Amino acid sequence: MALVMEHRGGRDSARDLMVWDPLVRLIHWSLALTVLLNGAVTDPEGKLHEWVGYAALALVAIRFVWALAGPAEARFSAFPPSPARAIRHVRAALAGDRTVHLSHNPVGALMVYNLWLTVIALGVTGYMMTTLRFFGIDWVEEAHEIAFTWLMVSVALHVAGVAVDSWRSGVNLVRAMINGRKRIPDGTRLE
Amino acid sequence: MTRSDLPVKARQRRATVLAGIILLQALCALFFIGDVVADFLDNGRVEDLHIGLEALAAVALIGGVVFLMIELRRMLARMRDMDAGLQVARGQMAGVMEGFFEAWSLTDAERDVAMMILKGLDNEAIAQVRNTAPGTVRAQAASIYAKSGTHGRAQFVSLFVEELMSGDFGAAGGAEGVPAAGAGAVGGLRG
Repeated sequence: MALVMEHRGGRDSARDLMVWDPLVRLIHWSLALTVLLNGAVTDPEGKLHEWVGYAALALVAIRFVWALAGPAEARFSAFPPSPARAIRHVRAALAGDRTVHLSHNPVGALMVYNLWLTVIALGVTGYMMTTLRFFGIDWVEEAHEIAFTWLMVSVALHVAGVAVDSWRSGVNLVRAMINGRKRIPDGTRLE
Repeated sequence: MTRSDLPVKARQRRATVLAGIILLQALCALFFIGDVVADFLDNGRVEDLHIGLEALAAVALIGGVVFLMIELRRMLARMRDMDAGLQVARGQMAGVMEGFFEAWSLTDAERDVAMMILKGLDNEAIAQVRNTAPGTVRAQAASIYAKSGTHGRAQFVSLFVEELMSGDFGAAGGAEGVPAAGAGAVGGLRG
């Protein structure tokens, strides 16, 4: 679905494209909030920690439904998890390619799946700790800890990736996740 | 930005509210499902009225979520169409204006002034924007009216309004759609 934008010269040199629907954005920021709450605010032994964790799981589940039934940019098919595409994208970017992706770029897509799976791993191991069968078993607790550390690393990489890609493509990705629109500089290749 | 964006803004607000309701309702649905499953695992009697009612609530909420998701998708699609329609209209209008200016052989300065007249600026404001004396703008405006065969600002603007209301302004950018010649095909503004 690659297309080259026509050059519409003069003062109208950039245009806004709606890329993230409100449900995607709400889920994104809600999930970020649950991670922040459980990572820094709630008591890990407490009931609230459990419920915030379930909420995070539920958010990922809702996102999955929307990724199957939602509009084109929100769907799995818009950002398939493909390491090969990611490597190609990095090569092209290093060579100075400034293609703008309407959905996630191929590297960002891998990060998205990574973040979702890590949140699921955290939620599942967290739930296991509340059950009689797994309560107090070391490896479950360790897995929860490791998943949390990995999530923190991933979040840092995620934020860094957003910064780098915003700089590379000239499209403010944070703004896109807030108001849903990517401002595409004129004459940019879209994908 | 401009007045024509207002209905778009209102629709965006509606879509955001809808997404928020979907999210809350889906979270509630998942809560009830989790509760039903937990209760069922606890005492395992489906015919229990409490579990039955909760299951009913869960089904109703899921139905609501599915319905609202479909509605949100429709709304997003409509917004996208409207967006595209507006861009086409703007693009076509720009083409029509270019065509007129070409046919009247306006100078570059006169084109700028004509554009600003169409945007509703008065001579004072145009002089300020262009960094010239109001007298210069008056002279340029007079020249524009003369070349376009009109008797002043109102009649000049109405040329374009008339073109818009005729409902079929030129498909290919409209250089042939100069007044008197009458406009070409395509009712591309509808929808």
